[in-house]
Amino acid sequence: MAEDQLLEAFDSRVRRRAERREFFKAAIGAAAIGATTLVVTQEAFAQTVTDADILNFALNLEYLEAQFYAYAAGGAGLDSTLLGTSPGAVTATNARRVDNLDSDPVVRDYAREIAADEVAHVKFLRAQLGTTAVVQPAIDISATATSPFSAAARAAGLIGAGATFDPYSSPENFLLGAFIFEDVGVTAYKGAAPLILNKTYVEAAAGIMAVEAYHAAIIRTSLYAKGVATPNLRSATNAISDARDSLDGTTTDLDQGISPVTINGGTASNIAPLDADGLAYARSTGQVLNIVYLNNAAVTSGGFFPAGVNGTIKTSAAN
Amino acid sequence: MTDNDTALAILEAADRRRAERRRFLTLATSGAATIGGLGLLSACGGNKGSTGTTPTPTPTPTPTASSTTAQIDIDVLNFALNLEYLEAQFYQYAVYGTGLPGSQTVGGAGAAAGTVTGGRQVTFTDPVVAQYAREIAQDEAAHVNYLRTALGSAAVAMPSLNIDGSATGAFTAAALAAGVITSGQTFDPYASDENFLLGAFIFEDVGVSAYKGATPLITNTTYLGAAAGILAAEAYHAGLVRTALYAKGLATPSLRTNAGKISDARDSLDGTSDDDQGITGDATTSNIVPANLDGIAYSRTTGQVLNIAYLSKAAVSSGGFFPAGLNGNIKTSTAQA
Repeated sequence: MAEDQLLEAFDSRVRRRAERREFFKAAIGAAAIGATTLVVTQEAFAQTVTDADILNFALNLEYLEAQFYAYAAGGAGLDSTLLGTSPGAVTATNARRVDNLDSDPVVRDYAREIAADEVAHVKFLRAQLGTTAVVQPAIDISATATSPFSAAARAAGLIGAGATFDPYSSPENFLLGAFIFEDVGVTAYKGAAPLILNKTYVEAAAGIMAVEAYHAAIIRTSLYAKGVATPNLRSATNAISDARDSLDGTTTDLDQGISPVTINGGTASNIAPLDADGLAYARSTGQVLNIVYLNNAAVTSGGFFPAGVNGTIKTSAAN
Repeated sequence: MTDNDTALAILEAADRRRAERRRFLTLATSGAATIGGLGLLSACGGNKGSTGTTPTPTPTPTPTASSTTAQIDIDVLNFALNLEYLEAQFYQYAVYGTGLPGSQTVGGAGAAAGTVTGGRQVTFTDPVVAQYAREIAQDEAAHVNYLRTALGSAAVAMPSLNIDGSATGAFTAAALAAGVITSGQTFDPYASDENFLLGAFIFEDVGVSAYKGATPLITNTTYLGAAAGILAAEAYHAGLVRTALYAKGLATPSLRTNAGKISDARDSLDGTSDDDQGITGDATTSNIVPANLDGIAYSRTTGQVLNIAYLSKAAVSSGGFFPAGLNGNIKTSTAQA
């Protein structure tokens, strides 16, 4: 058993090194092309995508995160005044305050904090967008055998056919459910920030990105610490990470789990998912939608957004 | 009924926290006039290069990698490089007992590196903390290498650093200013797992606010994306350190209160704007994320960052963790009331 774990740790370390090497090569390749490419990309995008489009894209993701944490921390969804006129339905079968949450007061405190932050993000983006803010799309955060959470867990190999992944059934499952979203938020904001033309919004997006990274670190650090006693929690994050990677395209590896790696002959954690330069990853809007739609094809709905996101950016990438 | 009560309690807690954040925002807004237009509210003019400090226009070698790199970008990246040298050396010593190799501290055009005062290996008792430290050490070394590579011959050398854990070290001065220790006591960040985490806490959020404040100053899109990437990395690190302190604070409440004191000390150093928070919310809510009312992380100007790094509220060009000041054109802290 110990040998299996050693082998697994070794494999993951090799994977991470290989990943970093791959990024390093890609980075050098990109450097040769230079900044011009990025600027052109930005301008090409700017012709069809406005700042409001990008902020609305982000708002869709914030609705999803906010609803999940609101249920997990408090047992009820967002106040209807935050959702716009005639919002989409929230499918929340079996969604509830996390079972036995008070038995793990530290996780409870985290859940309440993050829930409040995500509500603040919804309010902030809606205020910035004013009348152009999109209403909440239909969202599915239920916990059934056919729910998106179960589909995601099944894609990661955490559960078998017909089984249910219930992120509300324990503090640990809540952390894994949160893990499914959090790093995606960071990469989404990092990918979107350079596309925004208005400097005010660029800095706001950078500020929200930092907050999402703090959140992701809370979840990852908690799972890592609990992983001392329950190693499955660590390996589960790697499985989820791999599933995200397979959804968002095979050419780029934009994701890492938390399992220990070896650095200079000693064991190190992997709380921060970074490339060889120590930089966080970026995802395109299409790649982000691959993950929340749980589909590696070019589609406009699915997964956590059964009727798709609202706004002009709504199609996932064809991978 | 139980659910309703819980939901109500959460809303009340959120209100309290929001009220606190609103206070911060008000203070931040009233201070905006004095911080040189780096804040969110004043960033709409795209005021590149308008910093709180005035970089001295001394000649700087042109980088070989990109001869057209704007001077402001070189200055900002070198400012960041100074901070990364500090963080990297702290974590390198804590983990390995030795510093960065000389090839990673010499200036890009051959300028000699400064000296490192203090620093030693931590004897970690909690293997998880040791694993966090090793991870962060690697990341900070990668940031040094990345920025040095990006700057090429324009990269500044490592300045002299004080990361000493003795009675006369910068950490003791910082802890004394924060009230974590009293006069005559020593704060040694290398003495225990807990002290290491508090020592790391002194730096980490400052890095986040520094990158967030500097990002709008950068003109080159490639560097902008890179700065955002480092910003996120620093936020992951800060989140890690704050989460570890909060979790350990369940059994050792002083870790939470001491983090709050350090946050307050940073706030008193960098002016009247409140751009810092400890890790405690209320009885049942953590505050791992230091953020304003809108749930957005704070920015600091370069001058405010230097107030903290130099441990001085005045406009000075050296002190604290940088006994001979930063290298490069951005090196003066802001005069605070």
